[in-house]
Amino acid sequence: MIEVKNISKQFDGYPAVQQMNMTIGDSSVFGLIGTNGSGKSTFLRMAAGVLRPDEGEILIDGALVWEEPGVKQKLFFISDDAFFFQNAAPKDMEEFYCKYYPDFDRSRFEEMLRAFGLDRGRKLRAFSKGMKKQFFIAAGLAANTKYLLCDETFDGLDPVMRQAAKSLFAEAMTDRGLTVVLASHNLRELEDICDSVGLLHKGGVLLSKDLDDMKENLHKVQIVYRDESPKDADADGIEIVREETRGRLHTLIVRGTAQETQQYFNALEPVFFELIPLSLEEIFISETEVAGYDIKNLLA
Amino acid sequence: MIALDYRDPRPIYEQVVQKLADLILAGVLQENEQLPSVRGLASELSINPNTIQRAYAELDRQGYTYTVKGKGSFVAGSEPLREKRRNELLKEFRLLAAGALQAEISMERLIGELESVRQEMSGTDKNRESWGDPTGKGENHHD
Repeated sequence: MIEVKNISKQFDGYPAVQQMNMTIGDSSVFGLIGTNGSGKSTFLRMAAGVLRPDEGEILIDGALVWEEPGVKQKLFFISDDAFFFQNAAPKDMEEFYCKYYPDFDRSRFEEMLRAFGLDRGRKLRAFSKGMKKQFFIAAGLAANTKYLLCDETFDGLDPVMRQAAKSLFAEAMTDRGLTVVLASHNLRELEDICDSVGLLHKGGVLLSKDLDDMKENLHKVQIVYRDESPKDADADGIEIVREETRGRLHTLIVRGTAQETQQYFNALEPVFFELIPLSLEEIFISETEVAGYDIKNLLA
Repeated sequence: MIALDYRDPRPIYEQVVQKLADLILAGVLQENEQLPSVRGLASELSINPNTIQRAYAELDRQGYTYTVKGKGSFVAGSEPLREKRRNELLKEFRLLAAGALQAEISMERLIGELESVRQEMSGTDKNRESWGDPTGKGENHHD
């Protein structure tokens, strides 16, 4: 488990992360979503023990990641700006990783490189951006760590490779309970694979929730009432988060399960009624509007 | 085995539940047949294994499958479920029929529609049960 307690980090007086709190459970995929400059990379670098928080602490399985270097063997960090030794080829990096990660699986690593079509002996600096990402995915999975931190790792991969990487993650999760933290500005990418998602904005966490819970408990309803005086819904335990009216057609965002919502509105005997599941984007917009944010133009 | 529709806004696990349930009801997955492993299906669909796990738990809860500890999920006897499905369909049918009668569609026209649907289906699928037998045959497998 990764526990983030009240961390802050400034760069030259500019606050990159402010009082961030989060918990990331084991054997799950956690998505970090946010625009450029929202603090995703800074958070990941702190979680990886590369940067020290100015305030607060990050605990990995109960140990402080900055204070206890041994903890770092439990995690592999795929940084957005790839690091490798000058003139190193994959086989040189393999030697380095083997020293650092006691469970590094050489044969698995070589097998993945072959599957990705990457030459073990070719210099990494001659790799394309996407090939470097592939190399680091192979290394990150072969390192057999409990945590894999990925900073925009999927951006820059072609669609086939994305699917392949997701399949490899799925296998590692079932085989050894891998936990993946994925930072991305692409909401659609995260929607399919994450268990829970944290929405970052200006260095803080706006929202951090289980994805399916969010999807199950918020719905869009389109309704035309029989008479033009809709009942006071809040009184009946149904919470209407947002309401828009166009002519007789009301579009509501309703908090509640699909069944509850359906039952409630059917009982009003509407002329027209439709229950539409929300996309993750719409959920974020609704959830953060309540908190007083307008994020419509923040989501890519 | 199943394909996901990424434009479908429902949670993915709901899609997995519905698609596997359809396969079970259609008899593609037969009684006591093992479902694909969580790892295998997650890898095949490139999705989170926790999603598959959750879908399997839901199929268990709805009675489509049963779990053998350490072995996996297996298809339960589907006759009670098919009966349940028939009742659900009949309920929907009654609602639609009421709407149709209210909209003054004549009985002759409705029966004609029904007949043409049956003809279309018998052309493509001989295995479907006939409309005239809503009670279901075969013994029920209650645990």
